Amino acid sequence: MIESEQVRQLAELMNEYGLSEILVSEGQSKLRLRRGVAGPVAVSWPAGAALPQTPGAVPAAQEASTAGASGEDDGLVPLRSPMVGTWYASPDPDSPPFVSVGSRVEPDTTVCIIEAMKVFNEIKAETSGTVERILVRNEQAVEFGQPLMLIRPG
Amino acid sequence: MFSRLLIANRGEIALRIIRACKELGIRTVCVYSEEDRDQPYLRLADQAVCIGPGPATESYLRIDRVIAAAEVANVDAIHPGYGFLAENAQFADACRDSKIEFVGPSAASMRLLGDKIAAKKLARQAKVPNIPWTEGPVEDDREAGAWAAKAGYPVMIKAAAGGGGRGIRMCHNQAALMHNLMAARAEAQAAFKDSSLYLEKVIEGARHVEVQVLGDRAGNVLHFYERDCSLQRRHQKLVEESPCPALNERAREEICKAAVRLARAAGYYSAGTIEFLVDRKGAFYLLEMNTRIQVEHPVTEMVTGRDLVQWQIRVAAGETLPFKQRDIRQRGVAIECRINAEDPAKDFRPCPGRIEEFRVPGGFGVRVDTHACAGLMVSPRYDSMIAKLIVHKPTRPEAIACMQRCLEEFHIAPIRTTIPILREIFSHTHFLKGEVDTGFVERTW
Repeated sequence: MIESEQVRQLAELMNEYGLSEILVSEGQSKLRLRRGVAGPVAVSWPAGAALPQTPGAVPAAQEASTAGASGEDDGLVPLRSPMVGTWYASPDPDSPPFVSVGSRVEPDTTVCIIEAMKVFNEIKAETSGTVERILVRNEQAVEFGQPLMLIRPG
Repeated sequence: MFSRLLIANRGEIALRIIRACKELGIRTVCVYSEEDRDQPYLRLADQAVCIGPGPATESYLRIDRVIAAAEVANVDAIHPGYGFLAENAQFADACRDSKIEFVGPSAASMRLLGDKIAAKKLARQAKVPNIPWTEGPVEDDREAGAWAAKAGYPVMIKAAAGGGGRGIRMCHNQAALMHNLMAARAEAQAAFKDSSLYLEKVIEGARHVEVQVLGDRAGNVLHFYERDCSLQRRHQKLVEESPCPALNERAREEICKAAVRLARAAGYYSAGTIEFLVDRKGAFYLLEMNTRIQVEHPVTEMVTGRDLVQWQIRVAAGETLPFKQRDIRQRGVAIECRINAEDPAKDFRPCPGRIEEFRVPGGFGVRVDTHACAGLMVSPRYDSMIAKLIVHKPTRPEAIACMQRCLEEFHIAPIRTTIPILREIFSHTHFLKGEVDTGFVERTW
């Protein structure tokens, strides 16, 4: 059983030693973490294994995303979370995501939902442009100020 | 016992709670504002969650954001520390409604004791003496003037929803009283959303003596003896000590029993402090009860040998107190100095800025509770207290000698701190003889 704590520790190791990929096998379980530009991202799970239950279990990944993807020098504008909660890409589990990479957005476009205390808050893009990169995963815990996506203005 | 706990506070008390949790095997989640992002104590928590920008009204005081952080971090309990949301009954309710335990008393007892008028009426029922007062809110100014004339000046105007030294005005005569009543009402409405006021007679030359209590959910309430906190400036404490040098055994027993009676009458559990004024004749009167762990709790921890923050957490987790009143003993003398980033030479003006040099004292009987270190930015936005320096020795003269040498050793630069005035206090004859009252600091400096 792969524990979320293990994922966190591996992500920290990667950051500490500047690794780009780690593959861990333990019995039937395999876990590969590969560093994307946005920081370490857990890539593969064996069929049937549960995703980490503890939200926010990868603080190192969040830090890496913040550090590597502040984006402002490439002209990209980060959309930062205005609240603490759980991030959802779609309005409900059966619908497609609000936006994906390449989507055109205006300031009032709803780009995601952040849920806190059973209230689902629609988050607006705040910028006109194109979604260049999405930095968080569905159902990930996000904190105040955390960059959620990068938008190329224009 | 809880497996994860969220700390809804910052600075030295956040660190204090992290330490208590680690020893109990509880994983910690600490919230922080963007301005506190680089605080070193956050690295000691298992997880840290940013809940807003610098202003406390947008972060530490945001019930919704604190609860949201608690939910995403999947915690079993929240410790509010002191200040911020610690005495906010609405917050306690919000935690428990979200199935997260609040480390503190019931919301009902917080509401009861936070209403100073209701608390005084409860005290009367529990046979705890009140300061002579108007026996209810002041309805109109003429009634206020009549009461004050009969009781004798000076009198204090106090806000029913106040506390912690706020919403208090002293009036020396009728004219001052009439002038201040209107201003006090407006101030109370703005600060506490409640303009109710009451009047108290001023007890001159009094000492501030408070009793630490701890209750469990089975209804057991114990006291952990008293602390003397007479050294204050503008109702903010500078120095606290235990035992109170002016109480004899009989007076100590009476005041501690009165405190327990009040706490029981309020259905109180967790840690709390009942504050009294003791006049020159040794009579004591209730000031108020504080429904939180207090800044100066280490003083009591040193003389009784008990970890009050851990006991708060244990009680919140449902444990009953395994000891009896007779098992709580006072041993030796403990004194605490609050070290604030303020300049005593400039009317205690706050001195924010980066600490470049920070060397804490140490040695036998010395405890320093601080989140500060070299390189730390002291923000003007939050409380100016940067460290608590506590000493514990078998006798008061030894404790004073220890504190004197610690104040000499403690080196903080370049920001100004209250260390110089503390050194003067600790060489002042009246303090050395234990003969001070709540007006002493303001009269002398």
